[in-house]
Amino acid sequence: MAIYMRRRLINAGVMALAMAATGFGLLWLVLVLSTLLWNGIGAITPALFSQMTPPPGSAGGLLNAIFGSVVMTLIATLIGTPTGILAGTFLAEYSRGSRFGEVVRFINDILLSAPSIIVGLFVYELMVVRMGHFSAWAGAVALAIIVIPVVVRTTEDMLNLVPNALREAAAALGSPKWKVIVMVAYRAALQGMVTGVMLAVARIAGETAPLLFTALNNQFWSTNLNAPMANLPVVIFQFAMSPYADWQVLAWGGALLITITVLFLNVGARALASWSTFKQ
Amino acid sequence: MSPATARQIMSPALSDSRDTRADPSLRQKVLIRQVDFFYGAFQALKNITMALHDKRVTAFIGPSGCGKSTLLRVLNRIYELYPGQRATGEVIVDGENILAPGLDLNLLRARIGMVFQKPTPFPMSIYDNVAFGIRLYERLPNHELDDRVESALRRAALWGEVRDKLRQSGLGLSGGQQQRLCIARAVAVQPEILLLDEPASALDPISTQRIEELIAELKEDYCIAIVTHNMQQAARSSDYTAFMYLGELIEFDETERIFTHPKQKHTEDYITGRFG
Amino acid sequence: MPADIALLRVAAAKSRRGAPGDFIFRHLTFLFALLVLLVLGGIIVALIDGALPALRYFGIAFLYTDVWNPVTEKFGALAPIFGTLVTSAIAMVVGIPVAFGVAMFITEICPIWLKRPLATMIELLAAIPSIIYGIWGLFVFAPFVQQYIQPAIINSLGQIPGIGALFAGPPLGIGVLTAGFILAIMVLPFISSIMRDVFETVPPMLKESAYGLGATRTEVVLQIVLPYTRIGVVGGIMLGLGRALGETMAVTFVIGNAHRISASILQPGTTISASLANEFTEAVGDLYLSSLIALGLILFVITFNVLAFAKLMLLRLQKRAGG
Repeated sequence: MAIYMRRRLINAGVMALAMAATGFGLLWLVLVLSTLLWNGIGAITPALFSQMTPPPGSAGGLLNAIFGSVVMTLIATLIGTPTGILAGTFLAEYSRGSRFGEVVRFINDILLSAPSIIVGLFVYELMVVRMGHFSAWAGAVALAIIVIPVVVRTTEDMLNLVPNALREAAAALGSPKWKVIVMVAYRAALQGMVTGVMLAVARIAGETAPLLFTALNNQFWSTNLNAPMANLPVVIFQFAMSPYADWQVLAWGGALLITITVLFLNVGARALASWSTFKQ
Repeated sequence: MSPATARQIMSPALSDSRDTRADPSLRQKVLIRQVDFFYGAFQALKNITMALHDKRVTAFIGPSGCGKSTLLRVLNRIYELYPGQRATGEVIVDGENILAPGLDLNLLRARIGMVFQKPTPFPMSIYDNVAFGIRLYERLPNHELDDRVESALRRAALWGEVRDKLRQSGLGLSGGQQQRLCIARAVAVQPEILLLDEPASALDPISTQRIEELIAELKEDYCIAIVTHNMQQAARSSDYTAFMYLGELIEFDETERIFTHPKQKHTEDYITGRFG
Repeated sequence: MPADIALLRVAAAKSRRGAPGDFIFRHLTFLFALLVLLVLGGIIVALIDGALPALRYFGIAFLYTDVWNPVTEKFGALAPIFGTLVTSAIAMVVGIPVAFGVAMFITEICPIWLKRPLATMIELLAAIPSIIYGIWGLFVFAPFVQQYIQPAIINSLGQIPGIGALFAGPPLGIGVLTAGFILAIMVLPFISSIMRDVFETVPPMLKESAYGLGATRTEVVLQIVLPYTRIGVVGGIMLGLGRALGETMAVTFVIGNAHRISASILQPGTTISASLANEFTEAVGDLYLSSLIALGLILFVITFNVLAFAKLMLLRLQKRAGG
């Protein structure tokens, strides 16, 4: 009987610990988000979206940084998405059990979790050194390299979910393989692939390290893609580490903006994924 | 099923118009000669030799794993999608061996249509589903395409039910309707031969009946091969029946004879339900 | 008849048009798949190329020398390597048990309606960008640690002879422990998510057999589920470790950026990624730059090995499960 009591006690204890661990995890989520909101909400003013990053000690906004981030994210998505989709298509449709496919999948998954600062170093060596200067192009390429593995993974996973019967039905009508893929398989996997792209964008929206040595930063408004371009994460880095209160407030504001965007994309992607399974 | 029962089921067919034995328009559309099939090292079909007649329905029956679906899939070479699967032998369609290497597979599959066990509507509108195959081969002006889609849907006995919702997704139809959509899609490319792989097995009895009625109409224009695990369906719907077992063709004859006077004991055992 | 032949000719022409389409598409997708490999290759080449001057100059001693002087141009990677390893170790020590607890709770204990929302919320922890953790860490967490946690630790654990040295020093708020702790929070959703996935692969009949014998939930998890999913759990942990090793911005904000090794985890230090983030754009001199890239190379080698190991573990699990 004593053994049984001990077992029950241990069980209760472990379950309580598991619950505590979950609470612990949630606690930090709540803490981070709430302090972010608390500190950042004050910075969300119209000025944030209309004025440029100011010199230390004066007020301003984040317009050039927001613009730079949007532009570079857009270019990175435009470069990375087709690349990732095509590579993922190869893995799903053309590489049944081939050694090459296995290697690509393996490497892709490693790139997926590789430190983003390494990507920044790579693009620095590849582009910045060659071109002789920092540029928004280099920043976009660095972000694209982060987007590609995510899109490859989701594309392959989603295409693998499309039932073979659908492909056979198209082939039985005499459709060449590429049309089977593009006109039937892609359409069937569309929602999943869009979700993948959204998650990839959410990932790069907050990435700082790859931009540190590629796009650098720019105090002023610039639309020159061939020159350093302001972006939210690096601006936040610079402003937050500084001793100036004005700058720190702007940093919080920028952080809040990024977080809202990222959370919105994440939750949106999940909602899209579950809506599509619900529809079928 | 006893021969007497078979005769009862058969009698509507017996009193049907054509006496198949004396029909001069009867011809062999597909000649299958010494076909073997392998999944890797495993031999799934052994030395199959038989013929499919034009404008007739040939049913393939047999227990699970006997190779009937495999044989069907040889006829449109859909197995070529998968490495490790191969067929040897000859399949002559209108004088041409379609198992020959170098044959254009897409073109072949436009002449031989296939409907699968589970309805497989594409994720697009009903109209686009039916038009899919047509668009692969022909560039038609819109009104002509509309006509082709309508005629295909009429042939599949689906037009009345979907004429008002052609632009809606094919996925929104019921199971039976989806399968008729797949039939419409297959006949839209105007094939000569139709392969039906257990087309009604995933459907309710009412839809099954409609499909069978459809097959009876379609056979006036196509050479039809149907795989079925439902013997009554084979007896009702087909003109010829092939009984297969463990990859071999045990017996092939006119349906009436197979079900009333089977020549092989094996066939009789299967039909009377002693195994399978 | 003639119309049919004409139709067939058109169809044949169109169908032959399909063949080049197949050729192009197949090779196009192949090319882009190859690109993935080329990116990795490029990274390796670029890092080695950039690091070579420093490595040639300092030799293998670069790896174990604790010096970092841009003025005299003497560089050694020991401090950053040490910091990277220690912060990641702290992240693992804190993160693994918590991740396990979360995974156990979500898969075995919590009610069904709560599973999805809870899992989503934990995964949101992973979605929050690194820099947010950094700025939160610097302005909110570090001061809190400085005011309450660190004094408490110093007064309790710091007084014990021997291991007290681990917790010595003035309470600065920032430092190795703070950085490691924030890393733990960032990394636990990854580990937890993989643990959850592998826990779900346990066949229900296996668990039911155990429950049927009267086992408690804890016993089923610890004695049935965990051993069954051992390989996947290790893979998940390694994945989390890989992430922790490479984490940059959160660590940069709170580690204190001091190129030195101290016994106490309450002191500031530096990691490879933090050094890179802080110093790269200001580095003057080829040797300085090359040394930093050499740091990057070392980090890459470490994380690549950890991630490859993780992936191999997870692949083995997949094969065993017949997936």
